[in-house]
Amino acid sequence: MNTSETASNPWGHRIGLAVLIILAIVSLLPIWIAVKTAFTDTGAIYTSASALLPKDATLFNFQRVLGLANPADPRLAKSGLGKIDFLRALLNSLIFTTMVVVPQIFFSAMAAFAFARLKFPGRNLIFFLFITATMIPGAVLFIPNFILMKELGWLNTFQGMAAPYALMTPFSIFFLRQMFLGTPAELEEAAHIDGAGILTIFFKIMLPLHTGSLATLTILTSIAMWNEFFWPFLIGRDPAVQVMAVAINSFRTQSAAGTPDWTGLMACTVLGIIPVALLLIFFGRKVVESIQFSGGK
Amino acid sequence: MVASTVSAHAATEISYWLWDTNQLPAYKACAAEFQKQNPDITVKITQTAWSDYWTGISTGFVSGSAPDVFTDHLARYPEFALNEQLVDLAPLIKQDKVDTGIYVGELFKLWSKEGKQYGLPKDWDTIAIFYNKDMMKAAGVDPATLANLDWNPKDGGSYQQLIAKLSIDAAGKDGTSAGFDPKKVKQYGLVMPGNPDAYGQSEWSHFAVSNGFKFNDGLWASKFYYDDPKLAETFKWIVDAGKKGFIIPAKDCNENNAPGLFAAGKGATILHGSWMINWYKENCKFEVGIAPLAKGTDGRKSMFNGLADSIWMGSKHKPEAWKWVKFLGSPEAQKIVASYAVVFPAVRQDVDTAKEAFAKKGMDVSPFVEEGTDPKVTFLFPVTDHASDVVRIMQAAIDRIMLSGADPTSTLKSANQEVNALFQ
Repeated sequence: MNTSETASNPWGHRIGLAVLIILAIVSLLPIWIAVKTAFTDTGAIYTSASALLPKDATLFNFQRVLGLANPADPRLAKSGLGKIDFLRALLNSLIFTTMVVVPQIFFSAMAAFAFARLKFPGRNLIFFLFITATMIPGAVLFIPNFILMKELGWLNTFQGMAAPYALMTPFSIFFLRQMFLGTPAELEEAAHIDGAGILTIFFKIMLPLHTGSLATLTILTSIAMWNEFFWPFLIGRDPAVQVMAVAINSFRTQSAAGTPDWTGLMACTVLGIIPVALLLIFFGRKVVESIQFSGGK
Repeated sequence: MVASTVSAHAATEISYWLWDTNQLPAYKACAAEFQKQNPDITVKITQTAWSDYWTGISTGFVSGSAPDVFTDHLARYPEFALNEQLVDLAPLIKQDKVDTGIYVGELFKLWSKEGKQYGLPKDWDTIAIFYNKDMMKAAGVDPATLANLDWNPKDGGSYQQLIAKLSIDAAGKDGTSAGFDPKKVKQYGLVMPGNPDAYGQSEWSHFAVSNGFKFNDGLWASKFYYDDPKLAETFKWIVDAGKKGFIIPAKDCNENNAPGLFAAGKGATILHGSWMINWYKENCKFEVGIAPLAKGTDGRKSMFNGLADSIWMGSKHKPEAWKWVKFLGSPEAQKIVASYAVVFPAVRQDVDTAKEAFAKKGMDVSPFVEEGTDPKVTFLFPVTDHASDVVRIMQAAIDRIMLSGADPTSTLKSANQEVNALFQ
């Protein structure tokens, strides 16, 4: 925005800024309340619920949900505290996310390349079927998939949780197909003339050319899988395979008296948000740019 | 030469589930004692959060991985029994000559249906008034008078006087003075411990039953009496007292935040169950007192609820599971649990152990004990079939009364018809 614009409409500029500030506060305040509660001492939450800064600030909540607190600590004997091994849950989320993202990007890229560049009979028909697949509401697939996992004996296992996502999702294939279609075909034709086979073209030309969009897709998928709740909730209940979101849900009812262990719950939530927040802080601009670019297509 | 091995067969492991983290140490101690007496059995205790517990049990029934023994609940066991997932303990009790007269009140009966027994009682709970001692003092109320409150649906009796006196508005006026502003209350006389539901265990059942209402004709009845005018007048009183500013607005209260509201000083009293004693002790910065419920026209009434341990029909170690359940139902085990001051044991002779254990922690729990052991005071949790549907129908009706201002008489009448139709 240039100075003449501001000069001719200073009020519009100020109102716009005010609206943005209000929206920023409204979006960030709940997160701040969560962070503040996580740092508050458990005995003080009821008397300091509306304070903006933590009362009796302490790291103890983080220590105890991660299982790092000394078991003999008298503070742990208070009733109303929930029990959770959140470090295990974070680790499980990491394993689950990796198990999904790595194969998914790889296979989706190959599928996208096939749809974009290879000519084979039925290509358009199969792609049309993919389009229809995206129209099926996810909820409809939960029961058939659950039965399949039960038959395979994959309940409460990592492979059971990862299976529906590990090969591909229609979005990944779409996204990458768009990217691949956007590159001029001359590069591949030149390589083809020089004797390169399909696999060489794929690995040596297409992938290196699209590291940007592959990275974007990896980030978006990782964030989605890190936060994934319902499918892991159905399949992975056992504390040994519980992912972060499922563990938090279970922790909600873990304290006996009926009221949730608020400080512990908030500590878990904050820990769950941190990886995504870091990812977006460092790569956020890149992600937004990539999405804008594909949208412009 | 073949070395003759005295077959010390490997210890049988039985699995036991519970949901209460607070009771885990007590039950671990019980397991240790049990294993000392039965060296060939090991008990593996698993604690699962409440929201995952019942789905875990039901899924376990279906997939064949349910625990051998588990803590059961009155609202759930009828369905399990109907689906033949629970072992009938009656023949085992007869065979081992277990004394079933040692339990408080009718707890044992609560867990039986048509001569079959589905659990041995392990603990009980009932309802009383928790109050903020500082606020009582500030209002000039002598705690000794709390033992003799009376209530009626017309003018609320001395109970309403009490919560009116304890309600203070922003200008400092209490609910008994003329200029009290119900819209600007900063301290409420009463906090309801949650959204009233079909059974109103803590919220309304004691008011209604002390007024002459009864849920049905007894355990496993197939007809409810929710359309009784005595219940409608109870709800009318609750809604009116709320409008007068003596009770925290229903929309601001649910079971998650109600105890927190009391701990934060938003209310002077809260009606709640004995399972909350430790929570209030530890989370309130002020001293918490306990008083018995007010007396209605039929006297003092409080809902009596109790847990028991059930054995899964699909268990592969039923004899060992029965030994564990028998132990848990015995005075010896319940004395151990009582000494941890978390719950009141079902075995009558061990109740005093719990009372002393609570006293050692600084809580005088005699109102609970007196209510719980008085058969004239306690009334049973209404165990019936179709529990989940009853809850669903009544919850919608009661929400309409409490949150949308619907007329109690007509709403309860149509809801009662729906409920009774379930049993047709």
